[in-house]
Amino acid sequence: MLRFILMVLMSFPLQASESDSALRAVELIDQMEQLYRGETSRASITMRIETPHYDRSLSLKAISLGDESTLIRIYEPRKDRGIATLRIKSEMWNFFPKINKVIKIPPSMMMGSWMGSDFTNDDLVKQTTLTEEYDLNLREEDGQYIIILTPKTDTVTVWGKIEYIIDSTALIPVEQHFFDERGEKIRSLTFSEPRDFSGHRLPSVLEMLPHNKTGHRTLVIYESLELDPPDVAADDFSLRSLKQRF
Amino acid sequence: MLFKLAFRNILRQRRRTILTTISMAGGYLLSAMSFSMIDGSYSNVIRIFTEDETGHLQIHSKDYADKPRIYKTIDTLNVLNETLHAENHIKSFTPRTFAPALAYAEDNHAPVQVIGIDNELETDTSRLREKLASGQWLTAQPDSEGYFDALIGQGAATSLEIGVGDEIVLISQGADGSVANDLFRVKGTVGTRRSQERLNVYLPLQAAQPFLSLGPNQVHEIAIVLDDISLTDNIAAALTETLGRLVPDLTVSTWPEIQKTFYQSMQADKRSNAVTLGIILFIVFVGVLNTVLMSVLERTREFGMMKALGSRSSLVLTMILLETMLLATASIILGILIAIPVILWLTHSGFSLPDPVDLGGVPFSHMKGEFSARVMLLPAAIIYGYALAVSFLPGLRAARILPVEAMQTH
Repeated sequence: MLRFILMVLMSFPLQASESDSALRAVELIDQMEQLYRGETSRASITMRIETPHYDRSLSLKAISLGDESTLIRIYEPRKDRGIATLRIKSEMWNFFPKINKVIKIPPSMMMGSWMGSDFTNDDLVKQTTLTEEYDLNLREEDGQYIIILTPKTDTVTVWGKIEYIIDSTALIPVEQHFFDERGEKIRSLTFSEPRDFSGHRLPSVLEMLPHNKTGHRTLVIYESLELDPPDVAADDFSLRSLKQRF
Repeated sequence: MLFKLAFRNILRQRRRTILTTISMAGGYLLSAMSFSMIDGSYSNVIRIFTEDETGHLQIHSKDYADKPRIYKTIDTLNVLNETLHAENHIKSFTPRTFAPALAYAEDNHAPVQVIGIDNELETDTSRLREKLASGQWLTAQPDSEGYFDALIGQGAATSLEIGVGDEIVLISQGADGSVANDLFRVKGTVGTRRSQERLNVYLPLQAAQPFLSLGPNQVHEIAIVLDDISLTDNIAAALTETLGRLVPDLTVSTWPEIQKTFYQSMQADKRSNAVTLGIILFIVFVGVLNTVLMSVLERTREFGMMKALGSRSSLVLTMILLETMLLATASIILGILIAIPVILWLTHSGFSLPDPVDLGGVPFSHMKGEFSARVMLLPAAIIYGYALAVSFLPGLRAARILPVEAMQTH
């Protein structure tokens, strides 16, 4: 009996520290995902799409509410002005003003490219559910947190593994590497050039580099980012607001 | 002297000679007819095929034909226009752009292939205009409301539940990676629900280029129709050279390269026909072999005598070969006499198929033969070849005979 109690007592702190680190990892990732969103947010973004065949630059404005709603509108180039994307929870719609049509993005198109960039539609929708679908493993190395995300058994995920690297002093994301189920690195997202946005120091440039397409990359450059602006409200995220001309 | 001897020899057994001649003439007639029909129907099919849409030659950017991508464009349509106009033997040519797209109308949608065409040049180069099923041909100008025309395939019309005068929304990817989206007005429908253009949407080039974010000198393909299909390879080589100097990175392909599957299955079909024919002729010539063998065995004593009198072996062999060749010549003359009227009839009237076959939207209802030197001479050559082959062994046997042994046989 005594031995049993001893065993329980001995195993307890060990277990606790393990779940501690998992909890810490969840916390970290949630914090990272929250960085650019706040409770509400408003951002001006330049998206540069580079391929061997064409280069394209889009100027976007995005607002978000919580981690469920996002509305992105294209302002430049002129030809594409007015095209908008609305995301509510896991559903997504595109609006094309020229044909005055709202098109729902079917689940099969979620891995399709968003407006010809190296970001997928899924990137705009699913990022926040990372902690629900993956098991996390945290370790600390050279001033960086390295979190390895592996799919939970019985969940269908897009990636076979994600490596999430966080600067442990500044607490900002550094790199994300996405692997397929064969362990091959498919793409990397790199965060750089931190700037001050509404009092928060955040990387202002995100570079998505697909490893299976040479010469392709997409840069997301935050020109401005307002966190928790008071004038973003729930009714800004509806199919009607999606179709609004601007 | 040898010729006379051979001639007399075949006249000795008239009945046998006549029968052999007829069977060989039958073989000739059979192969001439079958060559005529195969060549005839294929040149007909090729004509339909190339004039339907493909053309005799096509120009693309580098490997566009194998791996089509929206950004692999010919960027110098103006230069090519001049070059192609200057080239002799080009009857007509037309530029095209291609892009897969999603078409919407009301609540329906369908995957389609958007093809930008020059509304005037296309008419001279392909049969598309003849396939207009309803409505009118494209114009290059937008209508009063600013919509450009579109022609849609019957399949797309059915699944979108639209017809002439309705709006159609097209969404695709532009060459700069942007989302191409625009509204068009259905001006007409083309083809049938089963023809190959059933899911095509044709736009005037003037609308397709800005839709796909392409410049006015950017297209994906130029289809060329020549004065005569037999010029295909020559003009292809000439164009490759001229264009190689002017605009590098262009590929000139001939219709067998473009319609690879069709061409290869046609070649395979031709080969299998040749094999079947070869087997039939082989059976005919087993009969001929029998005749030659008989006539040689019968005359063993004669050959022995000839050799005893000092004939060389080669003389005996030549004589036997000559006999068969004389027979073959007679058969071919007879065969040609019968074949000419038959093949002429096949060429001019042919026979109609009970069920017309739809070849890319063009009904193919009449099988016709072809009358050409190839059709007449190739079977003759085959007959001669076979005749030589079957008489060689018996001839050799007779030539090698020992006079003593030969004279002892009865």
